Amino acid sequence: MSRLLAAIGARALSASTELGGMVIMLLHIFRGIFTWQMDVMETWRNLYKVGVKSFPIVVVTALLVGAIMVIQTGALVAQYDAYGLLGWGAGFATLREVGPIMIGLMFSGRVGANNTAELGTMKVTEQVDALRALAIDPMTYLLVPRFVSIVLMMFLLTIVGDLTALLGGALTAQLLLGVEPLLFFWSIDEYLLTEDLFNGLYKAFTFGFAIAVVSCHFGITTSGGAVGVGRAVNASVVASAVSIFVLDYLLTYLLG
Amino acid sequence: MSEEQATMQAGELAPPAELRTGFIHDVVGALGEPVLHVYREVRNILGLMLLTFFYTVFRRIGWSAVFEQAFNVGNRSLFFITVVLGFLGMILIFQSGFQAQKIVGDLQMLGALYVQMLFREFAPTITALMLATRVGTGIAAEIASMVVTEQVDALRMNNADPVQYLVVPRFIATLVMTVALSCVSLVVAFTSGMMLGWGAFGINPATFYNTALLEWGDLIIFLLKSTAYGIAVPIIAAEAGLSAFGGSEGVGWATTKSVVNASLAVTFLDFLLSGFGYVVLFS
Repeated sequence: MSRLLAAIGARALSASTELGGMVIMLLHIFRGIFTWQMDVMETWRNLYKVGVKSFPIVVVTALLVGAIMVIQTGALVAQYDAYGLLGWGAGFATLREVGPIMIGLMFSGRVGANNTAELGTMKVTEQVDALRALAIDPMTYLLVPRFVSIVLMMFLLTIVGDLTALLGGALTAQLLLGVEPLLFFWSIDEYLLTEDLFNGLYKAFTFGFAIAVVSCHFGITTSGGAVGVGRAVNASVVASAVSIFVLDYLLTYLLG
Repeated sequence: MSEEQATMQAGELAPPAELRTGFIHDVVGALGEPVLHVYREVRNILGLMLLTFFYTVFRRIGWSAVFEQAFNVGNRSLFFITVVLGFLGMILIFQSGFQAQKIVGDLQMLGALYVQMLFREFAPTITALMLATRVGTGIAAEIASMVVTEQVDALRMNNADPVQYLVVPRFIATLVMTVALSCVSLVVAFTSGMMLGWGAFGINPATFYNTALLEWGDLIIFLLKSTAYGIAVPIIAAEAGLSAFGGSEGVGWATTKSVVNASLAVTFLDFLLSGFGYVVLFS
């Protein structure tokens, strides 16, 4: 019994340590942004690395997601012979839920894991200490640029991803179900509201925020050599995935 | 391996001036490079898969290592899977319930459609994506740190094959546990959806629990998907781990590669099997 309590207590303590670390880091990052203490060239490089380099993977994921949602909705639509609702069903699910979640998970895998690995390597090889020794603040040189580029690029890539998902859906509808693209897009135009699109984009923004905070935190607190880097990346992607789903629930509840 | 290392490192640098031969060359190069990259990855992964199958069937399996890994993969992921799928169930019912209320005005069939959707799509796929993030990165990080600290070379020196000793137990454990955790996540997502349907929309759980729409095809697609993901995730992760090089940077790079490749593979297999299910099973 006491061992169980000790295990629960240890988990709670370590969870609060991580959470507290993230909040403090976030405050520092915000101070850096609002007092414009960020390295502009480094931000520019990170925007390229985060945005352009993950463009292909987001496009591929979005195409597949659109196709899968059309296939799954297609089975229902075919039952009731309501082909005019196909674009609405697939588009609604993609824009509001599945698109942001899948792009978020992919982005967390590609960018979040990479970010943690990079920061972790710099930490365990004492490059962060070297920066400090050169009087360069790691906060303005490493964390603020990464945070800004991850949040911004997640938002922008979701816009691209939404469009690609709808194109992938239209293609699958034509090839597999024989639904004309015109009917598919008419259905989207007729039944979907701009609110549905924006709902997904708010979510994407929040997910980007969570991925940025989590991956920077786990990266900069890495310790213990090569093994530590692996462990940090593992913890970072797990925490990102959990926060994506929890935030999604909260946002769904709040935005309606 | 050394050839690949050389190409990877060369990819990071700009080509020297005498190799720049104009626009056409650049375009063909830009198109060909990712194709070659994907081809090489797929070839390595399929090679490791065949090797793993061979060792699983024809060589002695260390069962104690399998059980140890199964505990790592299954029991340790249980809490994570429960949290994620519990929230997913609530999200799905919240969204679809709102829409059904607005458009159809009738929530009788919500549970029946929901359980079908869970079987066909969400329970196996989201579980596999979560295992790709939690278990896949774990396998990749573990094997990669063994590679960069030369423990794998030490294994080879003792005439122990790394695939047999490291990959096969993880492969069997993850395959079994993916199917088992998919069943758990099905129950968790259904229960949390039912609770939310009861609390937010006042759907009676007895009405919500409706398996009238389920067919054998749904069960077949569920098992097919979770088995395919269970094969893909550990092998892709192990391949990423075994191809690591360099120090801690290599471990980080291998882990990133593992989660990206595994998630993409899950999405792609989902697309293939959903298409297969639609064309063969449900038409």
